[in-house]
Amino acid sequence: MAVIETFGLSRSFGNIVAVEDLTLEVEQGEVLGFLGPNGAGKTTTIRMLAGIIAPTSGYAVVAGFRTDHEVERLHEVIGLLTEAPGFYNRLSARRNLEFFAGFYPYVDTQTQVDKYLRLMGLWERRHDKVGTFSKGMKQRLALARALLHEPQVLFLDEPTAGLDPEASREVREFIKDLSRQGRTIFLSTHNLAEAEFLCHRVALFRRQMLAVDTPQNLRQRLFHRQVVVQMDSAEDSVVDAVRKLDFVQAVHREGSRLIVELADFERNRPNLVECIVTAGGRIQEVSETEYSLEDVYLTLVREETEGSNATKS
Amino acid sequence: MRRRYIINIIKKEWEDTLSNLNTLLLITLAPLLIIGQGLLVIYLVVRFAGEGVLMSPMFQTAMEKLEAILPSIAELPPIDKLQVLLFSQLHVYLLLIPVMIAITFATFSIIEEKQSRSLEPLLATPVRTDELFIGKALAGSIPALVMTWLCAGLSLIGIACLGTAHILGAVVTPSWFISVFLLVPAVTVLSFLLGAIISSRVNDPRNAQNISLLIILPVLALIAVQVIGVLLLTPLLFFIIAVIVGVVDLIVLRIGVRLFQRESIIIQWR
Repeated sequence: MAVIETFGLSRSFGNIVAVEDLTLEVEQGEVLGFLGPNGAGKTTTIRMLAGIIAPTSGYAVVAGFRTDHEVERLHEVIGLLTEAPGFYNRLSARRNLEFFAGFYPYVDTQTQVDKYLRLMGLWERRHDKVGTFSKGMKQRLALARALLHEPQVLFLDEPTAGLDPEASREVREFIKDLSRQGRTIFLSTHNLAEAEFLCHRVALFRRQMLAVDTPQNLRQRLFHRQVVVQMDSAEDSVVDAVRKLDFVQAVHREGSRLIVELADFERNRPNLVECIVTAGGRIQEVSETEYSLEDVYLTLVREETEGSNATKS
Repeated sequence: MRRRYIINIIKKEWEDTLSNLNTLLLITLAPLLIIGQGLLVIYLVVRFAGEGVLMSPMFQTAMEKLEAILPSIAELPPIDKLQVLLFSQLHVYLLLIPVMIAITFATFSIIEEKQSRSLEPLLATPVRTDELFIGKALAGSIPALVMTWLCAGLSLIGIACLGTAHILGAVVTPSWFISVFLLVPAVTVLSFLLGAIISSRVNDPRNAQNISLLIILPVLALIAVQVIGVLLLTPLLFFIIAVIVGVVDLIVLRIGVRLFQRESIIIQWR
């Protein structure tokens, strides 16, 4: 069941189109990574989905509520982690959370505030002013604030931006736990390793949707699978023998390595190995070219840039 | 309007604003200094300049106008008339207090929210922007009114202590009541609204306060024209001014509410 649905969602600011014709579905319990470069329209999209700004055209439904017409009801069931934590620095961590919890009448404020202060490791600092907190602590407190009312859907805008590696890891682990609890999470990030670690699917976005799928499917869609054969030395005779195979689509030699693209990858990989051995090649290792999500991302963004440049010219 | 949400906002605003020592002192001590200074200046003028002040044509004109409004003072000795004339300005002088406090609350409240970027998470809660705005307006207006009325009470005690007999009765007129209970609330609301609107456009509380404090100029002008006898306001004129300020409040409120929409706050506020 889709918990987040957008239908041709668009937003312009004057002549500038920030988000164009975004159509997307996010299933219950899914973590969707929303990836894109700075200025791609990620925050604008999150603001539209969280009912903070209205779309110029199209609409979105989140947890059954239209984000443009049913804002108060929507805000009862979503949690938003904004890009900047945004707290009252002269008030204590506890008082900050109590204030925000005060807008959810069905929430047992004391229980929930205590629960999340402990869960986020901020219990010992609960009476301290937020202005004395490190960025990582503020980010954890912001996560606590987003969760006080136990929302079904969470929008996280760059949750680890600006955090040191340890704080980033803590926040990522916590998001992973939230995912295990079955919450639907819309995660905006440009940290690709984070997206790969946390997300069931990723949406690559730059003003408009470039692709949306699992990281694995995106790799397969964009890149041919290649066998990498590491040998003692890649002799000409071996390379020639490989080239003559009818299922071989391309062969590249890099020093003592052969990189081979195959038709029907799974079936023909053993045949390739057999051919190399027969031709006298001494194989050290057989592996597959690894493409990262970064490769996928950069390829798609490059293609989109080239496409829009071609359209302009 | 959900009262629970509005009270939640008011409590937070008070805790946050008053935890700033400078603001706390400004809100508590400055009004006392304003009224104390007013009483002291009048006392010194009466004590040391005395009836000689009334020789000035400017004061003579003012006194004639005052007698026209308050015929009962015609029989008083000149020194008492002078006291009535000067002490009668105190309730106009009191208008400086709500202006100062309401503007301080508005600018700190809104600019600090902008600087700390706490408005966006707040706008993602079920609170409506009109509740947020009303909560902030009340948080700024209530202390302004309380402090002004407290100072009005103190000023009466001061007049009773410093003035000669029967002066108090001549100072507490219908004008005094209209000024303290109609004009002060109207000016308080106007000050908050202007402070809020200006704060939505600038990022430094001091800039916002400097611009907002221009509202003090008409108040000072009102005191000046009364003291020098250009114009002495009758109760009816005070009432008309209060009504005009109330109408301006409504117009400015509409502008303020329009500025205080989720989308405007996120996109237009800088």
